[in-house]
Amino acid sequence: MGGQRWWLHPYFLIILAAFCVTAAELLFKRGAVATANDPAPLGIIGVSVLGSVWTWLGIAPYIASFLIWLHVLRRVPLHIAFSIMSVTQVLVPLGAWWFYSENISPCRWAGVLIVLAGIFVVARPAMKAEEDL
Amino acid sequence: MTPEILMLCVASQLCLVTGQLLLKHTMNQTNLTPMPWQRVIPLFALGISILSGWFFLWGGLLQKTDLSYIYPFEGMGPALMLIGAWLFLKEKLTLQSCIGIGLISVGIALVSAS
Repeated sequence: MGGQRWWLHPYFLIILAAFCVTAAELLFKRGAVATANDPAPLGIIGVSVLGSVWTWLGIAPYIASFLIWLHVLRRVPLHIAFSIMSVTQVLVPLGAWWFYSENISPCRWAGVLIVLAGIFVVARPAMKAEEDL
Repeated sequence: MTPEILMLCVASQLCLVTGQLLLKHTMNQTNLTPMPWQRVIPLFALGISILSGWFFLWGGLLQKTDLSYIYPFEGMGPALMLIGAWLFLKEKLTLQSCIGIGLISVGIALVSAS
């Protein structure tokens, strides 16, 4: 990895994509709440969320994360990249608690942390191998 | 959690995993020289279509539940992705990966019970 610009490092890019997804999810939630009482033309399928400007604002960081993701997929095995991307499991509930005052019980937090521990176990060998290069 | 919400969570995850497997397969093709455009474009379009299905299912779920309640179900993703990548992309499955999947499953069970 010597000589590579740090902002092009695939693991940095995965984290950057995770922050983009977090922003998008929080905006989608706002859009979903704003359209919760709108008629749903296709029943359970959430097409009516497109009626909110917040949903469209959320699409922008999703597109950014998607473009970053395509770049990452050329370099990193899918299961490793996807596991690291699950850092959003902490970022999104934290954002939901901070911005929307959603209640997150200690048990639920414990579950989220154990999920993250699993992700760490999956991803760590690959990250170490990358560092050793 | 109602059976309907649970079913939608599973369906959305299957769409997500299938779409990502297709995208990864497509991006692997872009490393080839010359790039096989006739394969890349349809695969990419199919991957995007399936991910769009995930997007609308996810939107429907967000309308019905708290974000922090359903979001940890995305934790199923790495486990399904690992199995899918092993089966279809021939990525290497290690002991650490299996232990990680176990931890992820326990975490999801805790989240569901809370």
